[in-house]
Amino acid sequence: MAGSMKEIKLRIRSVESTMQITKAMELVASSKLRRAKERVEGSRPYFETLYSTLYDIVSADSGFDSPYLARRDTNRRLYIVIAGDRGLAGGYNSNILKAIEADAEGAEYCVLPIGKKAVEHFERRKAAILTTAFAEAGDLSVSDCFEISRLVCQKFLAGEFDEIRLGFTQFVSMLTQTATVLPVLPFDAQRPEPGHERESLMMYEPDGKTVFDAIIPEYLAGVVYGALCESVASEQGARRMAMDAATKNAGEMIDHLNLYYNRARQAAITQEITEIVAGADAES
Amino acid sequence: MATFPLKIMTPDGVAFDGAVTSVSCRTINGQLQLLARHIDICTALGMGEAHIKLEDGTVRRAACMGGMLSMLGGECHLLATTFEWADAIDAERAARSKARAEVLLAQKNLDKRDMQLAEARLRRALVRSSVAARKDI
Repeated sequence: MAGSMKEIKLRIRSVESTMQITKAMELVASSKLRRAKERVEGSRPYFETLYSTLYDIVSADSGFDSPYLARRDTNRRLYIVIAGDRGLAGGYNSNILKAIEADAEGAEYCVLPIGKKAVEHFERRKAAILTTAFAEAGDLSVSDCFEISRLVCQKFLAGEFDEIRLGFTQFVSMLTQTATVLPVLPFDAQRPEPGHERESLMMYEPDGKTVFDAIIPEYLAGVVYGALCESVASEQGARRMAMDAATKNAGEMIDHLNLYYNRARQAAITQEITEIVAGADAES
Repeated sequence: MATFPLKIMTPDGVAFDGAVTSVSCRTINGQLQLLARHIDICTALGMGEAHIKLEDGTVRRAACMGGMLSMLGGECHLLATTFEWADAIDAERAARSKARAEVLLAQKNLDKRDMQLAEARLRRALVRSSVAARKDI
């Protein structure tokens, strides 16, 4: 009996130390989440205005054509996949990777993974990888996103890829994050029928096509940066939730173990008393 | 002078939001200045100095690189990749970055990509230091 008491005591101690770690991770994740959320909110207006301007240019004017608008038969697709650098974030990494798998079903594709988990996953699956230069999702800056955009635009214009899609985790709220796959190139917009142009009084300097072609790489970099911010925030959100659940579980486990411990302790005492009484009976 | 609302946005957040009498910046076609009641216009930005004039006549200058400038229905949006106010520019860092880029460019055996990167860095550094150097205005 004394042996099992000791075992339970050890078990409780180990669960307690795990609980301390999960609790600390939860606190770290919530403070990082706050910062990441501010970054998401800061980047949104830039990106949204950029998108709506591009959309306006394209939908108002059918007079120009750009290689970024041309729909080609999709033979080779490029996925830019943003996942985390570390695990222990609930379903965060597996959700986005599964979403990509489902979306790419049957198609020939190539990936540009961002985040160590994404790199590991696609290396294991032996998928075609464009570059692993951006493995650390945590330290990517705006200029890295421009680097990515330059690379991708160049490949797209060279005809190496017919379609570019971006996989990231949308930060809906503190409690909800959704894995999303977003087509980014060719730029998708409702073109007016040729001849039925909407009268646009907008003046493009020097002209619509030049402006559009100059802005597209900016737009792509903006999208990647925005998606990165969203993903980082989602990762912290998912980790916070997962660690919160782990802390709660550990608490419950400790309660159970305490119950067993007390039971074992009482059993030991009862046995001792029985032995004493039996001994006294034998003497008299 | 008549004013118009201007919003300057970068991926890091909103850099300026308020009424100005004029905004001027370097576009892919050269320097462009917009005043109130300008026709709707949209253009892409190059690298260079931008300045805005506030209602009370104060001029704020900045280094502005890449992005887009648009005027729509009297509201002006400036979306820049980087936008740094003259007083926030780290002149020493720009000088260091300029020196580094010059050393790189002095080498003959650069491939095309490295060359472009070094050139872009040199150009950014030059814009920054020229904006930072003219603090008097």
